Amino acid sequence: MKKQTKVWLVLSIALSLLALASACNKSPETNAPETSTNAGAKTYSGPVGTVTGVVVYTGTPPAPKKIDTSADAVCGQKNPNLSTEDTVVKDGKLANVFVYVKDGAATDGTKIGDFAWTAPSTAVVLDQNGCHYRPHVLGIQTNQKLSITNSDPTQHNIHPQPKNNPEWNQTQPNGAPPIEKTFARSEVLIPVKCNQHPWMKAYIGVLKHPFFAVSADDGTFTIKGVPAGTYTVVAWHEGGAAGTEKTMQVTVPANGSGKADFAFGEAAAAATRSGSLEIMPALEFPMLGKH
Amino acid sequence: MNKGVHRFALLVACATFFLIIAGAMVTSHDAGLATSDWPLSNGQVFPKMVGNLFWEHGHRLVATSVGLLTIALYIYLVRKERRSWVRRLGLFGVIAVVAQGLLGGLTVKLMLPLAVSAAHATLAQLFFCTTVSLAVFTSRSWIEARPKFEEQGSVPLRYLCTAALATIFLQLILGATLRHSATWDQPLPTELVLAHVAGALVVVLTLGSTVLSVFRRYKGEKYLTGPAAIALSLLIVQLFLGLAAYLTRLASPNDPQPLNPMVGITVAHVACGALVFATTIVLTLRTFSVVGVSHSTVKLDGRTTGVVSI
Repeated sequence: MKKQTKVWLVLSIALSLLALASACNKSPETNAPETSTNAGAKTYSGPVGTVTGVVVYTGTPPAPKKIDTSADAVCGQKNPNLSTEDTVVKDGKLANVFVYVKDGAATDGTKIGDFAWTAPSTAVVLDQNGCHYRPHVLGIQTNQKLSITNSDPTQHNIHPQPKNNPEWNQTQPNGAPPIEKTFARSEVLIPVKCNQHPWMKAYIGVLKHPFFAVSADDGTFTIKGVPAGTYTVVAWHEGGAAGTEKTMQVTVPANGSGKADFAFGEAAAAATRSGSLEIMPALEFPMLGKH
Repeated sequence: MNKGVHRFALLVACATFFLIIAGAMVTSHDAGLATSDWPLSNGQVFPKMVGNLFWEHGHRLVATSVGLLTIALYIYLVRKERRSWVRRLGLFGVIAVVAQGLLGGLTVKLMLPLAVSAAHATLAQLFFCTTVSLAVFTSRSWIEARPKFEEQGSVPLRYLCTAALATIFLQLILGATLRHSATWDQPLPTELVLAHVAGALVVVLTLGSTVLSVFRRYKGEKYLTGPAAIALSLLIVQLFLGLAAYLTRLASPNDPQPLNPMVGITVAHVACGALVFATTIVLTLRTFSVVGVSHSTVKLDGRTTGVVSI
């Protein structure tokens, strides 16, 4: 039995060491931080325009699902009709779509990412109010302050789960001062959740430049101050494992407006669905569908 | 033999089983990071247990109780138990429960890395194995002289039991890794699902052949057929629970929050897996105790004859 005890001891220590070693490899904090202002990069001073558009939802949108807030009575008292916000459609227009300039070049041929873009000094606010995040989707520049507030009479915890930036998790009791954070690297999009209230979700788009917007309740968006040029504009909407993206080439004229209308929903998905044979929802064999 | 020690060891084993259920509730509710600090929750010993903090802090309180019970059991063993190896196993239990607590803290502090969380769930099963073993070793049926049985098969039952126990343990590690690889709102990784299904087939083969061998070779010997029958029954229940857990978990990413059917069935699957493990431990220990590997028959205690157990 002495030998058995030793074997168990060695096994448990080995497991712990394995866990520690793995944990040490996990951190994305080793990523070199990006800077909003590229060293030696020039600032843009030429003519600008806007990108405008409308995001529509084709087909019948999924009905919002009622959230059971019984685990924390305060949530139900403050927000009795709390429901899911993943597909907010009004008159066929889709809200909470993150639209951004992915790449492209200004008329002088300089890529959008090669210019220096200074982060605004004003903070972007993410509020926890009625046990949901307001806004549900937001954009922010790298190194711009994110101020997280708790307007609820209960405690929350904020847990962004980035891939390129350091992950963090912080409890914020009711009445606590705002938590201020920044993201050093661009990332579209970072899911945010509250581990206290698992229905609470938000998404943060982090970009080096300021050319992004979130579609309003009427589906419209406007991206201002875009250098005249031709760009790849992406619209991202949550859903599935990593959300859904639509891409469009847009030319922005000097002092004018480039149009970028996007469509999500059943009909749009059917038009772009790639062939794959689904045996079970979790078991896909894409190679079988390519013949 | 001390009845009190055995009863207390049983209590610790039952409390550990309850702790495994409490831990499974934390995972299924995605409550592991409901508070960012450890060992206190939001800086308090008794915080307001609302939302998922109920599960996370509740788990910590149960774990603390089990830790204290394990220490008390060790003290009890030191005072009352004459067999030094049993006392040492009690000490190992204390070391394991402390390591398990530290691993739990580590998984919170490092924000649930898969390896640490899976190791935490695996060590939980090893600790459960220890407490069940202590309950077996302090029982009257273990200590009192029993008739020894001659090994009757070409493959020794000891080997079959050990193989079943090892595959169940590996399956528990796979299950723990699968559970911690995706939260309720993410799809489970297909490779791990397939590996866990394959593991279930291997467990069915090893445990099934072990139980059948027990019934064929030692029919009527309740000391062996009892745990074998319970293990087989639990295995059948476990297979159905596994299928049900998979189906409810498939739908889970589309739900607004972890729903009770998914949580209940998944936690039942974890608990039943622990019970299959526990009964197989009992069967294995009893097999090692009464089924010999040599064929030299000797008088044991004047009442029975049997085979020398090596």
